Amino acid sequence: MATAGTSGGPASTGLTTDGGGPGGGTPLAVELRGITKRFPGVVANKDIELRVRRGEVHAIVGENGAGKSTLMKTLYGMHRPDEGQILLDGREVHFRSPADAIAAGIGMVHQHFMLADNFTVLENVVLGSEPTRGGRLDRAEARRRTREISDAYALGLDPDELVEDLGVGDRQRVEIAKVLYRGATTLILDEPTAVLVPQEVDELFGNLAELKREGLTVIFISHKLDEVRKVADSITVIRRGTTVGTADPKTTTARQLAEMMVGTELPSPEIRTSTVRETPVLQLRDVTVAAPTGRPPVDDVTLTVREGEVVGIAGVEGNGQAELVDAVMGLRHLAAGTVLLGGDDITAWSTRARREAGLGFIPEDRHRQGMLLEAPLWENRILGHQTRPPAVKGPFIDRRAARADTARIMRDYDVRAPGPDTLAVALSGGNQQKLIVGREMSAAPRLLLAAHPTRGVDVGAQGAIWRLLEAARAEGMGILLISADLDELIGLSDTLHVMLRGRLVATLDPSAVTPEELGGYMTGARTTAGAA
Amino acid sequence: MNVLRRIGLSLFAPVLAVVVAVLISSAVMAALQVNPLRVFEIMVDFGDTPSQQVTALVVVLNRAVPLFLAGLAVAIAFRMGLFNIGVEGQYRLATILAAGAGAAVALPGPLHVLLIVVVAMVVAAIWAGIVAVLKVTRGVSEVISSIMLNVIALGVASFLLTGPLRGSPEGASIIATADIPESGWMPSLNGVFGLLGLANPPRQLYGFLVVAVVVGVLIGVLLNRTRFGFDLRAAGLSPSAASASGVDSRGMVIKTMLLSGAVAGLIGMPDLLGSTHSYTTDFTSGLGFLGIAVALLGRNKPVGIALGALLFAFLDRSLVPLQIQDFPASVVTIIQGTIVLAVVVANEVVRRVARRSAERGSATGAAVAGDGSTGPGQAASGAASIGGGADGGEGTGAGESRTTGAGQRSDERQETGA
Repeated sequence: MATAGTSGGPASTGLTTDGGGPGGGTPLAVELRGITKRFPGVVANKDIELRVRRGEVHAIVGENGAGKSTLMKTLYGMHRPDEGQILLDGREVHFRSPADAIAAGIGMVHQHFMLADNFTVLENVVLGSEPTRGGRLDRAEARRRTREISDAYALGLDPDELVEDLGVGDRQRVEIAKVLYRGATTLILDEPTAVLVPQEVDELFGNLAELKREGLTVIFISHKLDEVRKVADSITVIRRGTTVGTADPKTTTARQLAEMMVGTELPSPEIRTSTVRETPVLQLRDVTVAAPTGRPPVDDVTLTVREGEVVGIAGVEGNGQAELVDAVMGLRHLAAGTVLLGGDDITAWSTRARREAGLGFIPEDRHRQGMLLEAPLWENRILGHQTRPPAVKGPFIDRRAARADTARIMRDYDVRAPGPDTLAVALSGGNQQKLIVGREMSAAPRLLLAAHPTRGVDVGAQGAIWRLLEAARAEGMGILLISADLDELIGLSDTLHVMLRGRLVATLDPSAVTPEELGGYMTGARTTAGAA
Repeated sequence: MNVLRRIGLSLFAPVLAVVVAVLISSAVMAALQVNPLRVFEIMVDFGDTPSQQVTALVVVLNRAVPLFLAGLAVAIAFRMGLFNIGVEGQYRLATILAAGAGAAVALPGPLHVLLIVVVAMVVAAIWAGIVAVLKVTRGVSEVISSIMLNVIALGVASFLLTGPLRGSPEGASIIATADIPESGWMPSLNGVFGLLGLANPPRQLYGFLVVAVVVGVLIGVLLNRTRFGFDLRAAGLSPSAASASGVDSRGMVIKTMLLSGAVAGLIGMPDLLGSTHSYTTDFTSGLGFLGIAVALLGRNKPVGIALGALLFAFLDRSLVPLQIQDFPASVVTIIQGTIVLAVVVANEVVRRVARRSAERGSATGAAVAGDGSTGPGQAASGAASIGGGADGGEGTGAGESRTTGAGQRSDERQETGA
């Protein structure tokens, strides 16, 4: 226990109930010491300290992008840490691949299920490590062991049911059974409740209690504070890539946790003089987007963006922001409602018509929606502006003008690349994003839809993009800003809406709200009726 | 320097592939106790007299023209990420209907030819259009539907040939449509040989060669220089980015397949207008499938496809001389097959080298700038690593919601494989 005490905070000793007892003798099930993981240009994890006792449910909480997933990938052997040690039961281990981690008894239940729909539960559970007899699948043995696991942990699985007939909660239990079948003693659950409805969440927590009783260790990743307080025996909080402390769920309030998660640093991007004008550029009225099943991802959203105004949408990922973006861009049909750009009803317009009418777009995933990675920069300059100067002359592409304008963007927006003929893939994330921002700004849109404009870019590029957005706003551009970065939202927005389960649940004044309060609204811990 | 390097890279792959293919097929021939050196000698032997040599050249060119058109038809769809396997059925059905139409009417020369060509293009475009409509409205994979439509097209063609469009007398050994009158023939280019001072061979050099060159240039311009071509290529490189940029992906599928089909309709024209003048039971078949190989060989670019078509035509020409010398004709097929395999591998190798050198090229610049380069480094193999990239930065939700899904799936594969 050489490094004991480094993590500080209120340690929750005395809560563990399993054998061995607290204190000195029993090694921890999982201990991470000083884990640092760098990706080129960014540090995703820094000096992570994590101590998980055997037989407990240990929650790891943090905002989106705080580094939870990177950390769990390290623990699951998906990549190697640059510094630090991983100890299992007191012994140091080095994982080269998830296979090593599995062999050491670590199992991962992914947020997105990885099941073959047209296979039975049994087949899915044994897939990849099938018991065989004479080279053929030994169904009897597989069925016996699947039953055994299902019974031992009260998972209630029928081995012969087809996975496609199962509900989400059952599928998750199949995933858990899969991991147990491979002999896991420590389970990592990555945002397990993200896909579940409340009753299913309760069932899952019942299952976790069962696992705990059998002596298994569960690492539970979440950003839903109420759930974490309900299920966890101890909590580690991660912020900006590093562990900021541990907490005892019995004595810590959701508010205190939120403060630890968000930190209390002041936001750096700041706009204080209002440039908001009267004329609305974008109006959404009762916009609803339907899903094939379940509740609508965007439910009755009404908002207005005026000239010179930045309207921020805050919300935990997956609360309908992506669908709202698609609806504004014309990439998704509306079930109800209207979208107005300036005075025009653009509800039925194609994406191209919307872009031509002055809609600029910085997508949340630039590789998926913003760039042609295998194409040169000048072609990426044309993307999204195929019908407008300077890139085209009649039906033809004007290569020379496109190259010249790309060179201008590279100069004006500080895109660091050898030249317009460089392939987009050769640029760093920050430079790709600056090219996209420059491209969209160059068309002088009336409304800029900026989804996570500084996601995955380094600090320098982040500051540059913030300044560009501020300048555009001062010139009268309307900006709809969707982000998960609370500092960004509070610092840039003139008006701030909070989106939760597809609805705008609160409208806040960014000059008066703190990140902690905002975090409270985002997780539903707070409502406009009053603080929780 | 840069230009030289690029040309060098683009030539490197096919040359490497051909060399590897020659080595592999030599080994195969040696194993079959065929003397590979002798085979290659026969292949390059175009005959002794000038007339023989020019004739051999004409045979190669005449074969290359339909191969080029087939490659082009496949490549148009390929550039948008569509796999048009139905070229075979499209051109066979188009050719028999064009032959029927040509035989049924009498028009002045150029108009007659034009009518036949237009009928062929329209028929093939419609046939390809079915594939597109099925894909857009019902989500049917174009691979499946085009393969099935191939079978139907060949069935319909045989029905037409033995039924309504039959022109040959009862009991003839080869069933054929009625001959197209002479006004619907395409004049040969043999006058050119006189101008060049070469011997005029007994064979006719297809006049359709000119059409093919024009079509090749037009398609090249269309794909690389026009807005339409940009939209098409963008949709091929990244469907999601293309639709976010305003490309109507469903409309693009239909337009691309219609265009691909229209070009496919031309494949049978050189033979029909230049030599056979009727569709027969032994009309040239298999060009649609060879077109896939030729398009691969030419990396979906018109100039490359032309070179690929010439190479395949050159190999095909040696079939007859090889058989005369008692060599098995299958050696040609073996060589063609290994070339295609080698090209696929070599293209991939070159693509990676080019990509890595591009990344390295800017890595230095980025390092100076102190900029992260997670994106490119990780994105090299598509969605799987984009998740990693997003996570590497202060990547937030995208990594966790959609893209990591893919990343984890590939890890799952690793894990089960291990």
